[in-house]
Amino acid sequence: MSRPYVVAQVVARLLWGPSVVVAISLIVKGYTDVGDGFAAGVVVALGLALFYVALGASAAELALPFLRYAPRLMITGLLLCLGTGFFPLLSGEPIFSHLPEPGAHVATVGSLELFTPLLFDLGLFLLVVGVLTVLLHQLAGLKGVAEDLAVPPVDDAPTGGRRP
Amino acid sequence: MGDVPAGHENLATAPESSAPPAPTRRASRSGDRQGWASCALAAAGFVVCLVGWLQGGASSDWPWMPSLDLRLSFALDGLGALYALLATGIGVLVFAYGTAYLSLHLAHQERATAERWRFWPWMALFAAAMVGLATAQDLVLLFLFFDVTAVCSYFLIGFDRDEQQAHRAALMALLVTVVSAVALLIAAVLLYAEYGTFSIPELVDRVDSGTTTTVAAALLAVAGLGKSAQVPLHFWLPRAMAAPTPVSAYLHSAAMVAAGVLLLGRVHPLLARSDAVLTGLLVVGTASIVVGGVLALSQDVLKQVLAYSTISQYGYVVVLYGIGGATASGAAAFYVLAHGIAKSALFMTAGAVTMATGQDRLSRLGGLGRRSPLLAAAAGVAAANLAGLPLTAGFFKDELFFEAAHGAGSVTTVIAVLAAGLTLAYIGRFWMLLFLGRPRTDPSPVPRLLTAPITVLAVASVLVGVVPQLFAGLAADAGSVTNAAPVDVSPGYHLDARPANLMALSAWALGVLVLVFPGTARAGSLALARAGDRIGPQRIYTRLLRASFRLSGALHAREVLDLRSSVAAVLVPAGLLMALAFAATPTVGAYAVGSPAGSDWLILPLLGLVLVAACVTARAGTRLGMVLALSVVGFALAAVYALNSAPDVALVAVVVETMITLVFLAALARLPRAASAARPGHLHVDVGAEAPLRGARWRNPLAAGVAGLAALAGIWGFLSEPDVTPGLAEELIRRTPEAHGQDVVTVTITDFRGLDTLAEITVLLIAVVGVATLVRKGRLW
Repeated sequence: MSRPYVVAQVVARLLWGPSVVVAISLIVKGYTDVGDGFAAGVVVALGLALFYVALGASAAELALPFLRYAPRLMITGLLLCLGTGFFPLLSGEPIFSHLPEPGAHVATVGSLELFTPLLFDLGLFLLVVGVLTVLLHQLAGLKGVAEDLAVPPVDDAPTGGRRP
Repeated sequence: MGDVPAGHENLATAPESSAPPAPTRRASRSGDRQGWASCALAAAGFVVCLVGWLQGGASSDWPWMPSLDLRLSFALDGLGALYALLATGIGVLVFAYGTAYLSLHLAHQERATAERWRFWPWMALFAAAMVGLATAQDLVLLFLFFDVTAVCSYFLIGFDRDEQQAHRAALMALLVTVVSAVALLIAAVLLYAEYGTFSIPELVDRVDSGTTTTVAAALLAVAGLGKSAQVPLHFWLPRAMAAPTPVSAYLHSAAMVAAGVLLLGRVHPLLARSDAVLTGLLVVGTASIVVGGVLALSQDVLKQVLAYSTISQYGYVVVLYGIGGATASGAAAFYVLAHGIAKSALFMTAGAVTMATGQDRLSRLGGLGRRSPLLAAAAGVAAANLAGLPLTAGFFKDELFFEAAHGAGSVTTVIAVLAAGLTLAYIGRFWMLLFLGRPRTDPSPVPRLLTAPITVLAVASVLVGVVPQLFAGLAADAGSVTNAAPVDVSPGYHLDARPANLMALSAWALGVLVLVFPGTARAGSLALARAGDRIGPQRIYTRLLRASFRLSGALHAREVLDLRSSVAAVLVPAGLLMALAFAATPTVGAYAVGSPAGSDWLILPLLGLVLVAACVTARAGTRLGMVLALSVVGFALAAVYALNSAPDVALVAVVVETMITLVFLAALARLPRAASAARPGHLHVDVGAEAPLRGARWRNPLAAGVAGLAALAGIWGFLSEPDVTPGLAEELIRRTPEAHGQDVVTVTITDFRGLDTLAEITVLLIAVVGVATLVRKGRLW
C-alpha cells in the first residue's frame, strides 16, 4: 500500500479539489437537500485518504502540510459545537435553542441559510475531518509496515510537525 | 593526604548518623497533622452527637431516589446516639494513639511516611460511616454504610501491603462481611415487596409475623452476625489481626464488629416477630461465646487472644438479643458500651507492649508490671472491666446480663455463668502472663501517647463502675429503640443474695478454677482449635474461594483463547437471552409475513448479495478478501437504504463504508504477516484453525447460528409490530419548517437531537485519542 503509483497519485491530486467542493455543497445544501456536516467531513477525509494511499503517509503529509493542524481542527470543531449548543444558557434558555427563533426571518445567501445550526454543522464538519485525518495519520502511519520500524527517528523529521 | 579521606569520611558519616532521626521527627510532625485532623473530626462528631442526644435527639429526612422510594433518613435516637458516641469517643482516643503508633510502625518497617495517606483517610471515612450507620433509618441506607465500613476495613487491614498475610486477611474480611451484607439487601427488598417501604420505623409499625417476615428477619440476622464475627462466620476476625493495632483497637473492638449487633439492635422489633430467628440468635450467640472463649484460652499471640475474646463478647450481646424483652435490650446496649471501652483499651495495651518489646507473643513476654506500672494498672482495669469485676463498668454489664439470662430460664443462666467464667479465665491469663512473673524482655520506654488513651479509658470504666448512671441513661434510651417500648436500666451495687450476685460469684469461682488448672484448659482449647482447623468454616471458605478462582480462570482461559471465542462470549449469551425472551413471550401474530411490492424487488437481490458476501467473509482465506467481502456487505446495505427512501442514511453509509474499508486495510497492513503460508500480496488469516479445542469446528457455526437466529427473531418481531410511537416521526417532519429547514435528518441532527449529536462526536474524539494512545503513546500527531 505504501508503494506509490503514478496514476493513483495523479487521480488523488485531481480529486482533492472536487472533494472539497462536494463537501462545501453538502454543507450549503444541508438544510434543503440530502447531506450534512458529517457526510461532508467524511468526503473531505476520503480525499485525504486517497492521498495517503497513493503517495504514502510521509509524502502525503509533505504535499499537504496543513494536515498537521488536524488535532487542532478536531478540537476547534468540538469547541464550536459545544459553544453553539450551550450559548443559549447565557440568556437563560434551554440548550440547543437555535437562533433565529422559529418563524423569525433568516438571512440567506443563495440556498445557504445563515443561522446558528450552520455553526453547529461546521463544527461537526471540522471535528470529523480532524478525527479522521488523525486516524489516517496514526494507522497509515509513519511506523506503518516493517521498513519504517527500522528507522523510527525519520518519523517526524520530514513533516516537522509541532507536537500538540 | 591521609587526613583528607578521613575528614571526608567524617563529614560523610556525620550527617548520615544524624539523618534518620531528623526526617522521622519532621515526618512525625507532618504526619501528626493528618492523624490529629482525624482526631479533631472524631472529637467534633462526639460533641455534636452528645449535644444532639442531650437535647432529645434529632432527625433529618431528604428524598434521595424518589423513583425507587429511597430516602436519606437519619435520626439520632437512643440507639444511634449510643453507637455514634461509642464510635466517635473511642475514635478520638484511638486516633490520638494512632498518631504515635503509626509513626513508629512505619519507621520499624522502613516505609515512607507518605503512606499515612493510605491510612488516615480510611480511618476518618470509617468513623463517618459508623456515625451514618448508627443513625440511618432506612434499610438500603444501612446496607450502603455497611459496605462503606467493609471497604474501609479492607484497605485498613491490608495496610501492610508487603505482607501476603495481610492481603489474604483483608480479602477474607471483605468477602465475609460484604457477602453476608447482601443478605441485608435481599431482606430489604423482600420487606419492600411486602410492605412497600424501606423505612425501619414504618416497617416496625407495619410488619406482621409470617413467612416473609421470618425469611427477612433471618437474612437480617445473617448480615448482622457475619459483621459481628459470630460463629460460623467468625473466622475472619482472628485473621484480621494482621491489621495495624489502631485498626484493631477501633474496628475490631467498638466499630466494625459493633456494626453487626447495631443492625440486630436496630431491626430487633422485626426479628422479634419470629421465634425461630430469636432461637437461632440464642444458639449462634452461645456457640460464639463457647468457641471464642475456649479458643482465647490457648492463644499465644496477644491480639489473637483479644480477637477470640471479641467473638465471645459479641456472643453475649447476640444471646441477649435472642432473649429479647426490656431487660435484655437494655443489658445489650450497656454491654456494647462497656465492652467497647474495655476491648479497645486492651488492644491498645497489646500494641503498646509490642512496640516497647518487639514481641507479640505471651510466651515471650512477662514481668512488664515492674517496668511500666501505669500501663499495667490501666490494662488491669480494662481486663477487670471485661471480666466484670466490681468497681468497673464491666460489673454492671455482667449484672444486667445475668439478670436478663436468669429471667429467660435455667439454660441461659448456665450459659451466662459459663461465659463469664471463661471471660475471667482468658483475660486473667492474658494480664498475668503479660505483667506478672519474671521479666523476659528488656522493654524500651513506651511513648506517653501510647499509654495515655488506655489510662483515659481505664479512668472512664472506673468512673462508670462507681456511678453507673453515666451509662444507664444512654443504655436505656438505646434499649427502648431495640425493644420498641420504654426500657428501664438501673444498675447498682446490691449486697444481697440475689440471683445476679450469686451468678457473678459462681462465674468468678469458675474462672479462678480454670486459671488454677491451666494445663487442662489449654488442652481442651487446643483440641477445639484442631477440630476447627480440620472441619471448620474457614476450610469451607478457602475451598469456595479456590473453586471460584478455578471456575473464573477456566472461563477466562476459554474466552481469551482467540478472537472468535471473545466474540462468541458476547454473542452467545445475548442470543440465549433473546431465546429466553422468545420462549417467554407469545408468538402468535407477532411474526407477520408481508408481500413484496415495487422497489422491494430491487432490495431482495441486494439482500441476497449481502448474504453471499457475508458467507464469503466468514470463509475468506485472506485478510484482503475478508475486508473486501465485508465492504460489499456495507455497500449493498447502503443501496438498500437508498431504495428505502433514506438518502441521507445512504450517503453517510457509502462514505463511511469507504472510509472503514480504507482504515481496515491500513490497520491490517500493520499486522505482522503470519509466519506460515504468507504468499506475496496475500496476508494469511488465522481463522481460528489453531484453536486446540475439541469441537472447535462446530463452535463457530453454532455460535453464529445462535446469535443470528436470535437477531432474526428480534428484528422480525420488531418489524411486525406496528410502530409504537407513530407520532414521533410525523412530529419531527411537521416541525422541520419551523426550524428553517427542509431536510428532516439534518435538522434532527443539528437541532432536535443536538445534544445526542454532541455526545456522539465527543465519543468520536475520545476514540481517536484512544487510538493514539495505543499506537503512538498518546501523541495525536
